[in-house]
Amino acid sequence: MNFPKSIEDLIVQFMKYPGVGRKTAERFVFHTINKMDKESVKELSETLTQLKERINYCKVCNNLTDKEVCHICSNEKRDQSIILIVESPKDVFSIEDTSQYKGLYHVLNGVLSPADGIGPEELNLKTLWDRVAEKKVKEIIIATSSTQEGETTALYIKRVLQDTDLTVSRIGYGVPVGLNLEYADQLTLSKAIENRKKF
Amino acid sequence: MKLNQLSLYNYRGYNKQDIAFGKGVNLFIGDNGSGKTNLLEAIYFLSLAKSYKTEDSNLIKFNQDFSRILTTVDLIDKSYDIKIILSKNKKKIILDGREIQKLSDYIGQVNVVSFLPEDMNLIKGPPKNRRYFIDSIIGQMDRNYLIELSNYKSFLKQRNDLIKKLSEDKNPDMTLLDIYTEQLAKAGEKIISYRNNFINKINLELKSIYPYLANNPYLFEFKYLPSIDSSLEGTLKENYRKDLFVRTTTSGPHRDDYGFLMDDIDAKDIASQGEQRIMILSSLLAVTEIIFHYKKQRPILLLDDVFSELDTTRQNKLIHFLNKSHLQTIITTTTTTNINQEILDDAKIFNVKNHFIRGNKHE
Ligand SMILES: Nc1ncnc2c1ncn2[C@@H]1O[C@H](COP(=O)(O)OP(=O)(O)OP(=O)(O)O)[C@@H](O)[C@H]1O
Ligand SMILES: [Mg+2]
Ligand SMILES: [Zn+2]
Repeated sequence: MNFPKSIEDLIVQFMKYPGVGRKTAERFVFHTINKMDKESVKELSETLTQLKERINYCKVCNNLTDKEVCHICSNEKRDQSIILIVESPKDVFSIEDTSQYKGLYHVLNGVLSPADGIGPEELNLKTLWDRVAEKKVKEIIIATSSTQEGETTALYIKRVLQDTDLTVSRIGYGVPVGLNLEYADQLTLSKAIENRKKF
Repeated sequence: MKLNQLSLYNYRGYNKQDIAFGKGVNLFIGDNGSGKTNLLEAIYFLSLAKSYKTEDSNLIKFNQDFSRILTTVDLIDKSYDIKIILSKNKKKIILDGREIQKLSDYIGQVNVVSFLPEDMNLIKGPPKNRRYFIDSIIGQMDRNYLIELSNYKSFLKQRNDLIKKLSEDKNPDMTLLDIYTEQLAKAGEKIISYRNNFINKINLELKSIYPYLANNPYLFEFKYLPSIDSSLEGTLKENYRKDLFVRTTTSGPHRDDYGFLMDDIDAKDIASQGEQRIMILSSLLAVTEIIFHYKKQRPILLLDDVFSELDTTRQNKLIHFLNKSHLQTIITTTTTTNINQEILDDAKIFNVKNHFIRGNKHE
């Protein structure tokens, strides 16, 4: 089928999204044509532009935020003595959903995997070492996923911190092996945090 | 485990072929190129859902769109039907009427142990051949071994890639290398213990199989030759400098080897062609026993062109041994002139001509 160029161009744009194939992209485009007025299309495109302009990584924990420091790091009511380490900003949202955890986060932005060119330098580890050097931090919870790479990353962090006074614990036990935090349901997650083990 | 019957449709040179197997020895006699190996390959395919020598598309008869393998497998207490359909870019496996979604759920349904002419490279070839041979046998008995093996391999890959990176660093951070080394060692210990265990078992079985087939006074034993035979972690760590220099993990279970020893001397240095063949065949027969202990089912034994290089006595001994065993064996050969009639009488004979198989009537 030959669509007019403007339709074809937008189809190609939508297909860049994960999980969106040609059929879905076509539906998005026709929805835009048939169901959206000029105003809402303008609003959508402005929201998209603003997202890219405003969203950035928290200077402290690397979580996604539209400020310089995210709302968790800047909340003084949060327990400043605990840092929970996760792989990605999505994990922060999953754990926040449980409303169980009251400490701070640190987002690594990945896991160690030299085979994929990811060594310690490629992760947000330098900022972590700086944070834990401050005296107010007492406990570290490592919540990388229970995959081989997640385990290795946890072991690495633990090894680097082994001569400090920090209590280092690991969750991932309650989370089935090979499962990403992203897919763990809320109950499993809160249990996992509760039952974290020193390691 | 026995194949009851097999139907091939457009498989390799076969057009439409039904075969009713005997429960013991099945001998397929035919000239070069007549389709004997192709038949064995089809049975092998039932086991691993792939050929040992080529990709699926070559299995479809020239100028045809698809091929089909149909069989009924009899176990002691039940039986099941398998249908495999190969088309140009797709294979479909149907087990008792239900289509298989994940290949790994299917593999292991049909157990075969096979001897192929290229297996003669086992003794004289590189260690990789022997590792692959032993790994696939242990894996066939115990899936956990394959999981450990793939675990080990992914740690090894990570470690090797890390080593490459570190070797370029003026001030390498060794912490991560320590961790991969410890993980590799842990995974490696498990692999070594599986391998040790297997070698002990096969040597035990060989004691009763080899002397009869070999008809000689030698003692044949496997020897496990691990690349590291002291503490894995300790040795891997001692090797850091060397590994960083060579830019790879220079020792460990991925470099293990096995010796085929005849009276303590490596067979590759002393054994004749026929003697090596008997050693390999005895090993395969030992493997069928070990599999039987594990799975309570005997695998199907496939022997391709097994008689060449064997003298008349040993050809007869082999068939006699197989007739007396509980194995279903499928043997191909170009001729049976060396085999005694009373031994042939206990086997089921088929003639293969231009990809057409005919059972011998007088059974
Ligand atoms: N896809 C195919 N379609 C048709 N014929 C094929 C196909 N693949 C292979 N063949 C034919 O099969 C023949 C080889 O058959 P096979 O290897 O079974 O012989 P064999 O009986 O084992 O012979 P040998 O005694 O020499 O080992 C070749 O002649 C080849 O042309
Ligand atoms: Mg052949
Ligand atoms: Zn933050």
